[in-house]
Amino acid sequence: MDWTLATDSVSITVIENLMDGLTEFDDRLQPRPAIAARWDVSSDGTTYLFQLREDVYWTDGRRVTAGDFEYAWKRLLDPATAAEYAYFLYDIVNAQAYNTGRITDAGLVGVRALDDRTLRVELNKPIVYFPSITTFVVTFPLRRDLVERYGARWTDPANLVTNGPFTLADWRHEYKVVLRANGAYWQGRPALDEVRMYVVNDRSTALSLYETGGLDLVQLPPEAIPSHESDPQFSRVPMLRGYYYGFDVTAPPFDDPRVRRAFARAIDKAELPKILRGGELPTDSWIPPGMFAHNPAIGLRYDPASARALLAAAGYPDGRDFPAVTAMYDTSPVNTLVAENLQAQWKRTLGVTVELENLEWKVYLKRLSSNPPRLFRLGWGADYPDPDNFMALFTGYSGNNHTRWRHAGYDGLIAQAASTADPARRRRLYDETQRILTEEEVPIIPLFFVSQNYLVNPLVRGVRLNAMELLQLKTVSIQP
Amino acid sequence: MLALVVNRLLWGLPVLWLVATLTFALMRAVPGGPFDREKPLPPEIKANVEAKYHLDLPVAQQYLRYLGQLMRGDLGPSYKYLDRDVRAIIAESLPVSAQLGGLAFLVAVVVGLSAGIAAALRPGTWLDRAALVSATIGFALPSFILAVLLILLLAHAWHWLPPALWEGPRHAVLPALALGLGPAAYIARLARTSVLDVSRQEFVRVGRAKGLPPRTVLFAYLLKSGLMPVVTILGPLLAVLITGSFVVEYLFSIPGMGRFFITAVTNRDYPLIMGVTLVYAVVIVVANLAVDLLYGWLDPRIRAQ
Amino acid sequence: MKGGNRIALVSAVVLGLITLAAVTAAWIAPYPFDAQDLTRLLEPPSTDHWLGTDRLGRDLFSRLLYGAQISMTVGVVTALIATAFGVIYGMLSGYVGGRLDNLLMRLIDVVYALPDLLLIILLTVWLGRGLLGMLVALSLVSWVTVARLVRGEVLRLLPLAHIEAAKAVGAGHLRIILHHLLPLIAGPLLVTLSFRIPAAILAESTLSFIGIGLAPPTPSWGSMANEGWAALRFSPHLIIVPSVAIVVTILAFNIFGDWLRDRFDPRRI
Repeated sequence: MDWTLATDSVSITVIENLMDGLTEFDDRLQPRPAIAARWDVSSDGTTYLFQLREDVYWTDGRRVTAGDFEYAWKRLLDPATAAEYAYFLYDIVNAQAYNTGRITDAGLVGVRALDDRTLRVELNKPIVYFPSITTFVVTFPLRRDLVERYGARWTDPANLVTNGPFTLADWRHEYKVVLRANGAYWQGRPALDEVRMYVVNDRSTALSLYETGGLDLVQLPPEAIPSHESDPQFSRVPMLRGYYYGFDVTAPPFDDPRVRRAFARAIDKAELPKILRGGELPTDSWIPPGMFAHNPAIGLRYDPASARALLAAAGYPDGRDFPAVTAMYDTSPVNTLVAENLQAQWKRTLGVTVELENLEWKVYLKRLSSNPPRLFRLGWGADYPDPDNFMALFTGYSGNNHTRWRHAGYDGLIAQAASTADPARRRRLYDETQRILTEEEVPIIPLFFVSQNYLVNPLVRGVRLNAMELLQLKTVSIQP
Repeated sequence: MLALVVNRLLWGLPVLWLVATLTFALMRAVPGGPFDREKPLPPEIKANVEAKYHLDLPVAQQYLRYLGQLMRGDLGPSYKYLDRDVRAIIAESLPVSAQLGGLAFLVAVVVGLSAGIAAALRPGTWLDRAALVSATIGFALPSFILAVLLILLLAHAWHWLPPALWEGPRHAVLPALALGLGPAAYIARLARTSVLDVSRQEFVRVGRAKGLPPRTVLFAYLLKSGLMPVVTILGPLLAVLITGSFVVEYLFSIPGMGRFFITAVTNRDYPLIMGVTLVYAVVIVVANLAVDLLYGWLDPRIRAQ
Repeated sequence: MKGGNRIALVSAVVLGLITLAAVTAAWIAPYPFDAQDLTRLLEPPSTDHWLGTDRLGRDLFSRLLYGAQISMTVGVVTALIATAFGVIYGMLSGYVGGRLDNLLMRLIDVVYALPDLLLIILLTVWLGRGLLGMLVALSLVSWVTVARLVRGEVLRLLPLAHIEAAKAVGAGHLRIILHHLLPLIAGPLLVTLSFRIPAAILAESTLSFIGIGLAPPTPSWGSMANEGWAALRFSPHLIIVPSVAIVVTILAFNIFGDWLRDRFDPRRI
């Protein structure tokens, strides 16, 4: 539960309900003030001054101060902490240098508590979405005195001191977490006295618990979706999570953009939700709906005739002489269904036979980072709900870009967009980069955005599942 | 006797060392590491993480480090939940697995022995036949099908018991049955056959002819002799109940150690894989020793050897 | 005894039918096992889909037939590999004896103390969750019992008069093993083999049921049952069909194995 080190979705969901940060998301995923009452940005956009509220307290009665944030952020960046999400703050002056050991003086890092109520943050460049980053758990404040007193045990339920709507009452590894209402919570005591969360590995078991009254909220297994879709207890929330196929653009036959475009144009993406049945939204562009600069007009439409023409122009009329290629994916029922469907469509439209191969998840990740296959599947879930997070993915400097596609023009525009405050200009920049990504160069074929499918007990009110896969419990109540 | 026990336990040490070595080698040979993520870490951050957990050392050196650590009784931190150590995780989950295994063992022995002996005492009757048929089918029933059947009937249809979780005695009934009834069927068949064998033997008939009350005959001869072949399978049975409980733990979402085999491997949580494996190895070595001792106690001929 | 023979005959016939279905699945299955018909999802049994369809509109009867192929392959191949390896290992240990025997037996202690599940998961992660990975993994955890059995038998037989005699007249080791020892342990071996098959089938279907066995779309009975479990309330046939197939197959093997044991290895119960 150490929020500096948290990486798994269970811990992050729990911490979200135990703790508040400087900012939080509203219903439209825009950052709004939380512990920070307001913030001022310098005219060049590189200095943020966060003014903290005075009425936010830790559960042991001490007030939350700017120093708690400074300590937390420096702990996150300390190389000895070895926090995986340290790069979230790399836009802060000297943060990366400190985290990578190039400087050892934490005092040079551009975050400073000017007094108990004021936190000053200096950035390397203007970052318009910085208040979105401070919604994330790794940026939440920490109590230096407690971390130093208890060492690794500071997160034990008995020692843990928090500032959010709930407190941690119990935590059994990979089994359950019990939260209790924090009566002194600054936004008002939550309606629920106690919340129990269980980690149930088998989703059919979870469904069976829901059906016998043991759970009030459950994620549905794909097999059970068709039979529950019309149930009033059913709810579906689109996620900021895209699913795509990528090419290795350096190796034939996919070094030819015409071949990549042909493969993209040959897929009728509307077939996928019919097979997967989880409320997938087919897409030709890459910025998801619900995010700034989403533009469904961009991207290559399904067009068998032009797909065949493109392939013929590349030297493979009707798929003749097309070299043997293998599409790879990580083993899972959904990925198998997608891969087999694409295989059939490429065969049908282009006359090309694509072999399929699946690998276990971590074996697959190793393969992607060491020797990426010609054709592979991957997904991307938003770290923060800004298009930068989706688009910077395919820059030449991104560690997540397994396509080996390098495009200086694209990289430049993405950097420009991240620092552009004017919405209209920013939107134009993302339209332009989306066209490069999904119409001209096509290192990836976006396929669909995923949804989460839930059943919620009708007596439980105010459940808000947002598109960042976060579950906020402070607004939930039970109808008497 | 004591010397035998000590000797066997001492022999357990090299076995454990080999188990640790094999597991370490196999686990490290599998591609993919604990910090390979869907979103790959920036190289400099990965370097920090690997330095912290000494994963940047040569594998041989990591192995020696681990053994040294093990010698001091330190099982290391979990690589998945970075502020939990493996010993705490095992301390939390082993008792749960042991309770489940113990309850299932009880189900197996009590149900199995009583059904087997009852059938053998009335050979050829409907009771005998019913016991035999259900034992044969029960033995062929995989525990996951049995579990689904029990959940369906007792939790969904009749609402008697909760279908999953581990929150008290009521939650323990279904998993204990799902795990114990298969072995019970096997024990019932063994017990029936051996009691039948024994009751045909001379000394039992003599005992009866002498006019001893039937009850005494039963307890003095039948039960103990009938138990013999059952004891021989207790070792494997205990191992099945302990290591085989993973399916039941998984299906009923029980926080025992069984599920860690799956999650620890998929997470490449090296210290947890090692910890769980070693604990199981210790349990198996000790269980076998206990069974051998019990066997010797029941059969004086072996004790003499 | 007569009743036992009749049941054994019935189970032999059942096993014959399952084997036949497995071998001829490609010809007699009305549909390919992975052919989807998105217009006909989750249908109950009907005239053109004898056992109904699953959530992707795949024909359950066809998947069941191909599932028999998977189960029988896993069962028979695993049992054969395990038995072959177990015989060689046990024979070596028992026949050579002395230091080697001691060493080999201690090695067995180690394999025995290693949790099967861990070996299986690690190996299938490594080799992939295809048929090959599954066969290797299951064989690797199941030879130990055979090896122990064979060693025990060999130790029991070696002092027997005619083997002593064969040694005395200078018969080669290989000759003694092949002509004198092997025929004598063939009976118990056959019985063990017949019980290893259902054990392997059980292991594969259990692993597939909890999602760590054979990867989709392989129509393993275990993964079919798992898909059915999620749709239990609305389409119970999805779990009933593969479960019945698993239970009937294992039951038939067990009964047949019991009968074999009564005939060839009557010392054991």
